[in-house]
Amino acid sequence: MASRNSLQVPSSSSVPPHLAALAAFADPPIRHVDGAMMDYFLIETVNILRESSKVALNREREREKEMVEAGLIPPPAPPVKDIKDPLASARDSTGSLTLTKAGKAAAAGPVDDEEEGLKLRLETIGIHVGSNFSERLCRDRGLFTETLDAIKFICKDIWAACWDKQVDNLRTNHRGVYVLQDNSFKTISRLSSWQGRPDAVRKAKVYVSMPAGIIKGALARLGYNATVSPEITNLPQCTFQVKLPKGS
Amino acid sequence: MAPNLRLNAVAFISPQNHPILIRTFMKQDETAIKYHYIAHTSLDVIEERVLASSKSSECYLGLLYSMEDVAVYGYITPLKVKIVLAAALTDAVARDVDINMASIKTLHMAYYSAISNPFLVLHDSSGAIHDTSRPLLAGSPKWKHLRRRVDEIARIVGNPSDTSTAAG
Repeated sequence: MASRNSLQVPSSSSVPPHLAALAAFADPPIRHVDGAMMDYFLIETVNILRESSKVALNREREREKEMVEAGLIPPPAPPVKDIKDPLASARDSTGSLTLTKAGKAAAAGPVDDEEEGLKLRLETIGIHVGSNFSERLCRDRGLFTETLDAIKFICKDIWAACWDKQVDNLRTNHRGVYVLQDNSFKTISRLSSWQGRPDAVRKAKVYVSMPAGIIKGALARLGYNATVSPEITNLPQCTFQVKLPKGS
Repeated sequence: MAPNLRLNAVAFISPQNHPILIRTFMKQDETAIKYHYIAHTSLDVIEERVLASSKSSECYLGLLYSMEDVAVYGYITPLKVKIVLAAALTDAVARDVDINMASIKTLHMAYYSAISNPFLVLHDSSGAIHDTSRPLLAGSPKWKHLRRRVDEIARIVGNPSDTSTAAG
């Protein structure tokens, strides 16, 4: 993530030496990531994951075909997940991700399958990043008093750390649905397509799945199993709809 | 200024109340199981402290309770990970707040760097993300780095004269 504010290392001359040594551990020097490099990295990640999910999907289709030929599953499309070789799918965790998705979206056509696989991978990466990052950000603050507090933490701290600004608009219906709106979302702010606006919007939907994953991961770590759905109507504005389960 | 904090044991407990790491630093090994029990009882005390003081959002819970020869301090992170410190009970207990805070923050950072390892939960990520059951309980070899880090921290806390070796 682009540069964060550096934490103050507690250093006073009267601190006993062992406390200083502890402090060195407790507040390790902040590592920064070059912002522009991060952008390039994300662009490349999407392309690479697209290829990777294509390969994984083809592999699954091959397996399905073999199973159909062997007579293990009936020829028509929807393949049953449980018949799949458990060893093979466990060996490759990303393969098993597309496995579940491919099972459900088999009727949707090959292009959408790949899109779904790609989005799922990006979201999973985002979930890992978001969970661990929120651990780091939560270090110096107190406990969360309520759900709104947690959402505000997301809107301010995570947004500021990942995308250098805060959420522009937060709306809620007080029944567990929050809408976070960002009028100039950093990830897609420089995205454009030579085929025109609608195509750019369609492509942008892929790129937003990682930020959606970051939010989802952070919320999951905080204890709220939410569903996050990003929506883009016109670039660079982006809204995330966060649905919290009943009772929280 | 020399701290009298003799760290007996450290316990990390996950948000789902599974033990992540329970590490003891005493010579005798046969009483080590006592610290598992201490971690368990601390859970209850932490629960009631957190529920009772719903207004205060303090992470550091201070002295939870004290048993025959140990004083137990607790800390709960906003992500509901609990860190429990069992220290030998000396008369200097009340003065040790500073070093408690420092050592607990250090332990938190150690936990954070151990948990950021993306290879920690590799194979179960498809279904278990919302489960967060994370079957990495106390004995698992994956927590090796956390163990090492915690050992180092305990060494620093316990031996104030040893600080020359503590850098990095």
